[in-house]
Amino acid sequence: MSEPALLNQRLVVVTGKGGTGKSTLSAALALAASRRGKKVLVCEVTARERVADFFGKPPSGTRIRELSPNLYSVHVRPREAMREYALMTIKYETLYKIAFENPAARYFLAAAPSLSEIVMLGKVWWHAARDMERGRPRWDLVVLDAPATGHGLTFLTVPEVFLRLVNEGPLARDMHGMQSLLADPERCSVCVVTLPEEMPANEAIELDSALRQHGFPPGPLFLNAYFASRFTPQELVQVTRGGPMLMAAGEAADNHESRAALSAHYEGVLRNAVQRPILPVPFFFERHFGAQSIDKVARAIESSL
Amino acid sequence: MKPLIEILRGRKIICCVGSGGVGKTTTAAAIALREAMDGKKTLVLTIDPARRLANSLGLRELGNVETRIDPAMFEQAGLTPRGEMWAMMLDLKHTWDELVRRQARTPQQAQAILDNKLYQTLSTAMAGSLEYMAMEKVYEVHSSRRFDVVILDTPPTTNALDFLHAAARILDVLDNNAMKLVLGPMMKAGKFGLKLLAAPSGLVLRTLSRFTGSDFLRDLAGFMMAFEGMYEGFKERATRVKALLTSRDAAFVLVTSASPLTIEEALFFHKALADDGIQTAAVIVNRVQRDPRRHGGPDTLPGLKEALQLAQIKDSGEPPLSERLCQTLTDQATLADLDRREVERLRTTLHGIPSFSVPRLRKDVHDLAGLWQIDGYLGENGGE
Repeated sequence: MSEPALLNQRLVVVTGKGGTGKSTLSAALALAASRRGKKVLVCEVTARERVADFFGKPPSGTRIRELSPNLYSVHVRPREAMREYALMTIKYETLYKIAFENPAARYFLAAAPSLSEIVMLGKVWWHAARDMERGRPRWDLVVLDAPATGHGLTFLTVPEVFLRLVNEGPLARDMHGMQSLLADPERCSVCVVTLPEEMPANEAIELDSALRQHGFPPGPLFLNAYFASRFTPQELVQVTRGGPMLMAAGEAADNHESRAALSAHYEGVLRNAVQRPILPVPFFFERHFGAQSIDKVARAIESSL
Repeated sequence: MKPLIEILRGRKIICCVGSGGVGKTTTAAAIALREAMDGKKTLVLTIDPARRLANSLGLRELGNVETRIDPAMFEQAGLTPRGEMWAMMLDLKHTWDELVRRQARTPQQAQAILDNKLYQTLSTAMAGSLEYMAMEKVYEVHSSRRFDVVILDTPPTTNALDFLHAAARILDVLDNNAMKLVLGPMMKAGKFGLKLLAAPSGLVLRTLSRFTGSDFLRDLAGFMMAFEGMYEGFKERATRVKALLTSRDAAFVLVTSASPLTIEEALFFHKALADDGIQTAAVIVNRVQRDPRRHGGPDTLPGLKEALQLAQIKDSGEPPLSERLCQTLTDQATLADLDRREVERLRTTLHGIPSFSVPRLRKDVHDLAGLWQIDGYLGENGGE
C-alpha cells in the first residue's frame, strides 16, 4: 500500500451499520496501536458509551480516562463539547454564560440543526490536530467511533454542509481545518465495519461509495464475525447422512458451513464492489465479551495494519 | 399462548420497532403476508429494505409508490392468499416535500421553503426526520382507508426516543420561541411580536454569531420565516399522528435478535414505549441459535470417534474430523446457550408479554416462501 499504515495516521474513523461491531473494532485498533507504543485516545460520540466497559472500567464520561497502558477514552457529548468549544472561541467565561447559558440560547443551541454534530466533531478534530503537550501533539492517534451508517455520513459531512452555507467566523475557520483533516490521506483514514450478511454488506457497499464521493481517505473494510470453513463438502455430506448417532454433529457442521458459505459469499461480493482492503475478523465463540475478546480481535488484525 | 396473528387481531397499524439489523423488515413482511393470507388487504411500509427481499417482492421503485405483490409470486411460492399484499418503500425527501406542499398556505410559500438551502440539507439530515416522516406516511395511508392493515418497518434508530418524539423535536425547530427570540432581530422582530425582547437578544445574537458566523444565523432566520404560519397545521397533524399511535388501532411489536446488545436495546425501547403509555403487544426474537445437542447422540471426542467408525466415515484431515466436529458442537452449544440465556432474560424482564423465537435459518430470507416459513414460528408455541 502506498498510503501510510493505518495506525500511523492521526485520526482513524470507524463507521458502518449499527450492530456490526464498530466499538469493538475501535477498541481493538486502539489496543493494537497502544501496544506499538502509541498514545491513543478513543472518542465515542454515540448516545451510549461502550469502550470503557470492554476493558472492565467504569464509563469515562466527558473526562479523558486511561483504560489500559497508553489507551484512553472519552465520551463526547453535545452540551459539554459546546461549552468547551465555545469557551475556546469566546474566551470570556462571563460572556459565554450570558450568550450560551441563558435559557433561550441553550434551547436555541439544542434545537439548531447540526450544531451538536459540529461541536462534537470539532472536539474530536481538536484532539487529533490541535491538542498539544510540551510542544508536541498530546495524542499519537485519535480513534473516532462514529455513529452508524446514515447518521455517520451526516456526521462526517457536517463541515462540508456547513461550509456550503457559511464562510466566515471562527466556526467556519475550524470547519475548514476539520474538512482538510478529513480529506487528507496522509493524516486520516475512514474505515468501514460490516458483517457477512445481506443487509450489512449492501449497506457497506453504499457507504463505501458515498464515502469515496465525499473524498474521505479509504481505510480498510473490516468484515467482522467471519466464519472460516472447517469441513470439506465431502465430509459434510458424509456426516449429515451419518445416521442418528451423528444427527447433532451433522447439524452443527451444517450450521457452521452454511455460515461459512455466507461469509465467503459476502467476502466475494464485497471484494468485487468495494475499492478498499478487506480484512476478515474471525468470529470468536465466547461466553463473556470483555478485555480478552478485544485482545483477540486486536491480535487477529494486528499484522495486517 | 396465542399465535401472533391472534394478538394482532383488529389492529389497523402494526409498528415493528427495534434496533438496526435485527430482521425488522423481514418480520414486518412476514406479518403482512400472514394478514394477506387471512383475507386482509395489507400494506407493508418499509425504508430501504434488503434489496433481494425488495426484488423478490417485485419492488423496484422508490418514491412512495404503493405496489401490489404480483399474485404470480404467490403462486410460485405455492400460496393462495385470500387478501392482497402491497408494499411501499418510503422516500424521505419526497414525503417531506409532500408535507410542505400540503401545509403551505400558498404555492409561493411552499416553493420558498423547498428552495431554502437549509431546508434542502435539513429535510434529509435533520435528526428524527426519518422517524417523523414514517409516522406521517402511516397516518396518511391509514386515513385514506385504502388498506385494512398497515405494517410499518420503522427506521433503525439508536435512540428509541427519537421515534416517538421526532414530531415534537421537529416542531421545536420549526416553531421554537427561543429560536425566534434569539433570531428575533434578524427576523424583523415586529412581525413576530418580539419587539420587547429584541434588545437583550441583540447581545446574545452578536456573541453567538462570533461563534457560528452570521450567515448561518441569517439562513436559519430565513428558514424560520419561510415556515411562518404553518406551525399550527404541523402541530395539529403531529398531535393527531401521536393520538393514532397511542390508540387501540395501533400495536407495537418489538423485534430483536438474541445478541446481548440488541436485547438491551429492545428493553430500552420497551421502556421508552411504556413511558409514552404504549404497551408492547409482542416480542419477536430473530436468529436464535438452536442447540444441535437436542438431537441427542455423542458430543465427546471418544463418542464422536466411535460414531464415525460405526458410520464408516474416515476420521482424517488436519485436525482430524472427529476433533473438528467436537469443537463445532461445543461452539454451537455455546452460541445456543448464550442465546437461550438472553431470551430468558428478556422474557423475565418483559414478564407477561408474549414472545416468539425464530431460529437462525440456513439462508437469508428473500422470497414469499421464506417469509411463510417464518410465520410458522409465530404460532401458539412461540417458536419453541
